[in-house]
Amino acid sequence: MRTPFARFTPKTRFAAAAVVTVLSLSPLAACGGGSSGSGDAKSLTMWTFKQSHVAALKNAAAEFKKQTGITVTVQAYGPDDAYTTKVQAAAKTHDLPDVLEVHSDGEDFALGATGIARDIAKDVGADWSGLYQKGVQASGTVTPAHYKESIPSDSKSHGVKQGQRFSVPLTSGTFGIVMGNKKALAAAGVTKPPASYEEFLADLKATTAKDPKNGGVSLGLKVKATGLTWGLQPLAFGELGKEKYQALWGQDASTDFASPDGQKVLGLYSKMQPYWMPGTQTLDIDTADQAFAQGKSAWDIGGTFTLAFLQQNGMNPDDVMAFGFPGPAAGAVPKPALAPLALTGLAVSSTSAHPENAEKWMKFLAQPGVASKFAKDATEVPSTELGADAASVMGATLADMTKAFTGTPENTYDPSVNDFRPASYDQDSMAEILADLTPLGQKDVAATGKALAKLDNSFWATSK
Amino acid sequence: MTTAPRPALTETAAAGRGPAPRPAGTADPDGGRRVLRRRTYEAVSGYLFVAPAVILFAVMGLYTVGYGFLLSFARWNGFAPHWDWVGLRNYKDLLWQNPAYAPRLHHAAIHTLYVMIAVPLLTVLVSFPLAVLLNSARRMQGVLRSVYFVPYVTSGIAVFFAWQYILQPDGAVNSVLGSLGMGSLAQPQGWLGNPSTALPTMIVVTVWGAVPVAMLLYLTGLQGIDRSVLEASQLDGAGWWRTNVSVVWPLVRPITSIVVLLNLRDSLQGFQTFLVMTNGGPGDHTNVLGLEAYRLAFLKDLAPTLGLASALGWILFAAALVIALINLRVMRSKT
Repeated sequence: MRTPFARFTPKTRFAAAAVVTVLSLSPLAACGGGSSGSGDAKSLTMWTFKQSHVAALKNAAAEFKKQTGITVTVQAYGPDDAYTTKVQAAAKTHDLPDVLEVHSDGEDFALGATGIARDIAKDVGADWSGLYQKGVQASGTVTPAHYKESIPSDSKSHGVKQGQRFSVPLTSGTFGIVMGNKKALAAAGVTKPPASYEEFLADLKATTAKDPKNGGVSLGLKVKATGLTWGLQPLAFGELGKEKYQALWGQDASTDFASPDGQKVLGLYSKMQPYWMPGTQTLDIDTADQAFAQGKSAWDIGGTFTLAFLQQNGMNPDDVMAFGFPGPAAGAVPKPALAPLALTGLAVSSTSAHPENAEKWMKFLAQPGVASKFAKDATEVPSTELGADAASVMGATLADMTKAFTGTPENTYDPSVNDFRPASYDQDSMAEILADLTPLGQKDVAATGKALAKLDNSFWATSK
Repeated sequence: MTTAPRPALTETAAAGRGPAPRPAGTADPDGGRRVLRRRTYEAVSGYLFVAPAVILFAVMGLYTVGYGFLLSFARWNGFAPHWDWVGLRNYKDLLWQNPAYAPRLHHAAIHTLYVMIAVPLLTVLVSFPLAVLLNSARRMQGVLRSVYFVPYVTSGIAVFFAWQYILQPDGAVNSVLGSLGMGSLAQPQGWLGNPSTALPTMIVVTVWGAVPVAMLLYLTGLQGIDRSVLEASQLDGAGWWRTNVSVVWPLVRPITSIVVLLNLRDSLQGFQTFLVMTNGGPGDHTNVLGLEAYRLAFLKDLAPTLGLASALGWILFAAALVIALINLRVMRSKT
């Protein structure tokens, strides 16, 4: 029997096989090297993980093109975890963009330590960093404290050097901002922000009594660290003050989570138990915010960045009452302020073909006029110092949130300070234990404190 | 099929193409070169045809497996230019040595064990009777088969999100229970929000996705059973139940073995459903080994834990291998 191939000459078959081989190998060849970024002197690519920033960045890019002739293509990849994976994959395939939006003072150092983000310390002079708010002017720079954190070999930023700079700030703000739906609150007789944690609990009681189904507080606890970092930590700072708060994560058994101080703080936090929105432990940050925007909860815990998302989901910012997580009335810091920190920053990829253009774009975004427009378009607090115009630019609710920033070093809770925790600290594992206290109700205060202290000690043991 | 001896290759190649073969003893150097050239062409083209498969296997298979294996002995975050070799430390840390990892792994292993026991068992318990009923259906068998196969073809991220909505406090499951007067069974925190119901619910969702393929395998097995065997059992007085339990079930035991093996493997290594629907929560009450490996690889904020993830992957591979060997042994002893 003659096969279909039999009618081809050996030469034809040879050629066909060669073509098949070359074609089949071409995808593999594509996995090899290659340039990253746009590679064109008149164009840049930028990646962000914040969908709410895309329109604002595109508007800024249009203006940038008018001024410089350089086109900036903005691409969003989310949520955060997917973005990180995307950056990891792109780094391996040499397909990084020119500019990356990063989580400030954390992710940028990790990217810098591994050579993905370029050290821009020499290029960011006083004329550039002076454009930012005082508290975030050095954001992205490896300070002595950051360097100390990077020393253990299992540190995420191991390898960075003091003085290096891997990002400049884009947006500022803080976590631990509580938002209330003004209409739902008014229906329960709540018309002003609570002055203390006790008042907050009383307000929660009022709204849940008025509407047991939709009167509670939503928080995206599926993203595990939210309860710990946005709720418990500011509360613990207010109750204990800076030193005792930091000692909770120390190695001294008389001051850790299992100690009387720890038990007191956990006991206070557990008082939230009756007021959680049903099922909030199954929601991620966005869906918890959506639930609030849809009226399924009367309260929402988030950050300054939450307002933009609420607006995207059809909620009028003027309908939101916003305030910092209140401290206990009898606490060491009854009225804690929340330190503003750079939330997101901009980094230049080390493989960018035109880093000078990338930096030009980053500096352009820091200009007050551009930052004002960005703030309006994205409903975000920009890192640029806007001066007296800030309130009018950002709107009343966002300006209310920034009131939480006002405080002294003693009474200000600064979530960016982490040097009192072990280097291998994993907040998700800690937060899983905390979730068992509330809202899951699986552990009591004593057992939770003991478990948190035990896990924290294990981090200390492995960080040596 | 002919039993006649085949002619020699050179004769076959020459037949009908070149001039007639010369008588023995006459030299033809040109002909020899032609034959040699043709052989070379054939050999090279043959190699070229198999080359893509060989190269793809070498790159996608051997290289990645080898790379992953080496990585399990290193500390790396996916970006750094160099790996730090740590020997067997990753395996030790995961199994007993490191208090930050080992207890989590043990907890996840217990959850995985529950899933490994429940999912294959429930899948067999649901899919075999379903296949028997479907096999005995006189009408619309094709339509019913397609209907029962829907969960398999629709399984994916979107369906898992849909399940999430269905299982929420104000979701369809609680609503249906309420409307049926069984509101006391409803879960006020949602079926995935209560630590007591979250893992069982995840098992049910996993079984829902596994039943179609299992049912199809059983259906294939049932349709392959000689009808005379069934008729003989009926002549012997066996009823429907007795026939299925004592005749059909033993005959489809090899299929049961395959169904169990496939579901054991999926239960051991699968994590996508858990990642999308619970992320291991609430707390860590639905964390499973596959999800823990994924977490160590991609959800540790660039911490150097890729080696740990790889080591966990190899531990899971070893467990899967043991399960497969046990299954093979059981199959051999039963058939």
